[in-house]
Amino acid sequence: MDSGSIITNLIGILTTAGTLFMVAAGLTLVFGALRLINIAHGSFYMYGAYFATTLSAHLAGAGFWVALVVCPLAVAVMGALVEVLVLRRLYRREHLTQLLATFALLLIFADIALRLWGKDVRSIKPPSALSGHFQFAGAAVPIYNLFVIGVAVLVAVGLWALMSRTKLGWRIRAVVDDPEVLASSGTNVPLILTGVFALGALLAGLSGVVIAPQQAVQPGMDAEIIVAAFIVAVIGGLGSIVGAAVGSLVIGVVETLGAVWTPSWASTFIYALMILVLAIRPWGLFGEAER
Amino acid sequence: MTTNGTPASTTTSEDATVESSKPAATRPGPTLWRNIATPVVLTALMVVLGFVVGEDTLTTLEEVLALVVFATATNLLLGQGGLVSFGQAVFYGIGAYTVALGWLHWHLSFWLTFFLAPVVSALVAIPVGLVALRARRLYFALSTLAFSELAYQLAESRYDFTQGANGVFGPFVPSALTDPIRGYLFLLAITVISLLLMWKVTRSPFGLVLRSIRENRERMQALGVNVYWHQLIAFVVSGFFCGLAGAMFVIYSQSSYPELLDWTTSGSPIFMAVIGGMGTFLGPALGAFIYQFGHDELVRYVSDWQLVLGGVLLLIVMFWPDGILGSLTKVKWSELRKSLKRGGSDE
Repeated sequence: MDSGSIITNLIGILTTAGTLFMVAAGLTLVFGALRLINIAHGSFYMYGAYFATTLSAHLAGAGFWVALVVCPLAVAVMGALVEVLVLRRLYRREHLTQLLATFALLLIFADIALRLWGKDVRSIKPPSALSGHFQFAGAAVPIYNLFVIGVAVLVAVGLWALMSRTKLGWRIRAVVDDPEVLASSGTNVPLILTGVFALGALLAGLSGVVIAPQQAVQPGMDAEIIVAAFIVAVIGGLGSIVGAAVGSLVIGVVETLGAVWTPSWASTFIYALMILVLAIRPWGLFGEAER
Repeated sequence: MTTNGTPASTTTSEDATVESSKPAATRPGPTLWRNIATPVVLTALMVVLGFVVGEDTLTTLEEVLALVVFATATNLLLGQGGLVSFGQAVFYGIGAYTVALGWLHWHLSFWLTFFLAPVVSALVAIPVGLVALRARRLYFALSTLAFSELAYQLAESRYDFTQGANGVFGPFVPSALTDPIRGYLFLLAITVISLLLMWKVTRSPFGLVLRSIRENRERMQALGVNVYWHQLIAFVVSGFFCGLAGAMFVIYSQSSYPELLDWTTSGSPIFMAVIGGMGTFLGPALGAFIYQFGHDELVRYVSDWQLVLGGVLLLIVMFWPDGILGSLTKVKWSELRKSLKRGGSDE
């Protein structure tokens, strides 16, 4: 492999991994605090992308930058509503109930999206500042990909700082171990849970906005990304941000290199890898065994 | 008969102790009525129904029968074992593909492939279960989902073998079954036999252990029960009947395609179980009827079938976790107990 194709593949790997990481990090953050797997997490990603297409259609020029700020916030509000109206009532029930409820939400959100935006494939143009390529070591590097990677890195650093450098992060980590003690020490536990869920939704929405100029925005992208995020979770381990990062990178590598070397088998490689991880560590590389 | 040597009465009394602590669970009843009269009456009703309804409804009924087996088999894991599998579509799809690919590649006889299908599915369920059951709860659900995706990807990408996304369409059904009423009666017979066999499994000491594991895994482990093997056997038995349901699907659909293996397909039998009542044996079957007829009626009037389905599921999960049969049986029992008490105090 010459230096040009190494760079091209590396950019491909990091772009895939970056997008996946933002979705998987939200999923894993929510699992860490609320101990539930949100199947509707993929819906938040899809709505982020759809909101972005609608907004940028109405606001030419600066539309993308506005969308980048507004749409994830809108999705976060959706998330907060879901937590308050549905999930909050189910925490004390068995995990099956939460799985089914979020699966139901996935179906509901999918049909609403179909009603609102139709079956057609939508897309948005990247802003002029981020379009185009530049030459580097014999490879044409798309500027937009660097932007995606940059956002993912910012999210990763931000999450790390939040969780390990702030008091809020400490509370979020404590909420799952001992909500009663935390509540008696004056923390508003329900607010933290809603906040974490909204933050998870925000990350999924952000990822949706960021991929909208790169990928087709269409029905079915919710189920597609959630399966990918689950595989990241299975490989990396739920509840671990590091696991989400490693899992996303692994999938990025396998998907990108698989597509180069054996396109027809690429999609099955990931699952083979996942089964291997499961056989060795059923709770993922960085996860903790469930009691 | 149930227990191979163990006196049947022992099983029933043990059943009662375990289940009295959990009212939503399957419960024992007056055994003679439950074991003989219910299946006979229901089967007779279904036979009569087949001769009364028109040809369109007959096709829907055939669909329902396959779904009844699919849902009941899924509920072996869900209701009995407390295992949420988003991977039962793998075995459903493999059942359908066994018939389709046997015809396509090797010109095997329909009857051979039809009865081979559940065996193939059960064989595939062994390695899948060996890996997936090492994971617990949510990880188990995620692993089964991922296996479903693997199967889906394989079916879609191995074009030479499976004809890819197009699926396999063909005249699979032998002339003996092309007549709608005969096809229906055949499917009905298969359904009744499957349900009786699965009923036997849930009423056996094995079924009791499975429910006990669901209730208190640690205690069963402490008692020396090998939880892993019990769950694996349940997984394989469920896979067997899911495969049979897939083969039944081929009879009326004359096709097999990758979506059958997709994890979202695993959602429908779970829905049916939830609607009808996961804690009861016949709940999923009732759920299958409501689901399929509800679907057929609804899609005529509204385009948003998934929206309605999701809404109904959400409401049931939130406010009515016992489902239809679950709450019906609950009501009856509390009333019965009350009247018994009253009767006792009068004397």
